Amino acid sequence: RRSEKPNWDYHAEIQAFSHRLHENFSLDLLKTAFINSCYIESEEARRRELGLDKETVALNLQDNSKLAEEGMSFSRSYLTQCFEGAYPDLPAEGLGALVDFLTSQELVSYVAQNLSVQDLTLCKEFPVPPNVLQRTFFAVIGALLDSSGPEKTGIFVRDFFIPQLIGKDLFEIWKVVNPMGLLVEELTKRNISPPEPRITRQLGVSTVLPLYFVGLYCDKKIIAEGPGETLLAAEEEAARVALRKLYGYTENRRPWDYSKPKQGLAAEKAISRN
Amino acid sequence: PAGAGGPPPRQFVEEAALDFARRHPDVVLYVSPRSGRAPLLVAEYLNGTVREELIASKTSEEIAQLATKLAGQSGLDIIRIRKPFHTDNPSVQGQWHPLTNKPSALTVRGPRLQPQ
Repeated sequence: RRSEKPNWDYHAEIQAFSHRLHENFSLDLLKTAFINSCYIESEEARRRELGLDKETVALNLQDNSKLAEEGMSFSRSYLTQCFEGAYPDLPAEGLGALVDFLTSQELVSYVAQNLSVQDLTLCKEFPVPPNVLQRTFFAVIGALLDSSGPEKTGIFVRDFFIPQLIGKDLFEIWKVVNPMGLLVEELTKRNISPPEPRITRQLGVSTVLPLYFVGLYCDKKIIAEGPGETLLAAEEEAARVALRKLYGYTENRRPWDYSKPKQGLAAEKAISRN
Repeated sequence: PAGAGGPPPRQFVEEAALDFARRHPDVVLYVSPRSGRAPLLVAEYLNGTVREELIASKTSEEIAQLATKLAGQSGLDIIRIRKPFHTDNPSVQGQWHPLTNKPSALTVRGPRLQPQ
């Protein structure tokens, strides 16, 4: 554990942490954010074993569960609003799947470890398990929310979570069981006739590795074309390509716009919190 | 840790270390005496990599420059960069595969259509 190696000054490290992120944290909130409940229990047990009095046993420390919930709910709502603005056609399940992926344990613990949150957390076990890291990171976000306000926290969340989506495909994140059914629903919502699949190209039909390109046509106009090994696989892939085009999540879409902070969100947040 | 070596590391610790720490508020500088070992500048990065540099035979300004260089690096390994560019959207109109631009009825042989 880094805190047990030589050269460790907790207060200085916490100050450096806040300077590194170019954010003004209130140091008490930040210190509370790093304290987990298992640490408090283990510290009290250790002090009781050493035979100290009851007063010194009771530590005056609060743990980070409240801050963690605040941070988690804020980041989820902020990310949902971001995606609603950027991909207006995406249905609610897709949005939920994207936000769940971004707040999942592996991703958040990866981000937290590379920001040295693991060295600063106070926890019983080492190496820190990923759910504790996730809770600590959200507690840090909650502390930032209370120190600097929703706008700066929103920029922080955007800068650290949205680049994790680069290079990822929509259906890697959102597992869809029946893309053809979903596509038919989407097309009926937009009053377009249901798709007709036709084989566009095929190669090597009688070999071990055939390749079929199936195109989906609505009113005799093509909407998407997808490859596959068997005819069924090709049809499913074509349905997925069509869904990607409809939701605007293709590979050649515009990259995410990080330039201007979103002013509307701050007003909404203020209203919802009051 | 700056060691009890010759004068240059000591001068750095006495004069330039405070300036360095003030200019880089996001880096925590620890100074600890170690006897019997060469003076080392150890840089620990956020992702866990640790870099050690000998500073015994460097002047005070060189140590300051080295410290600023290490403070500006990220913790990724120092390997040869294969290409100085990278893109996440390699194709805008769709990547070429051997069947683009071929007419679509190239190899479709329906069971009822006779080739003419």
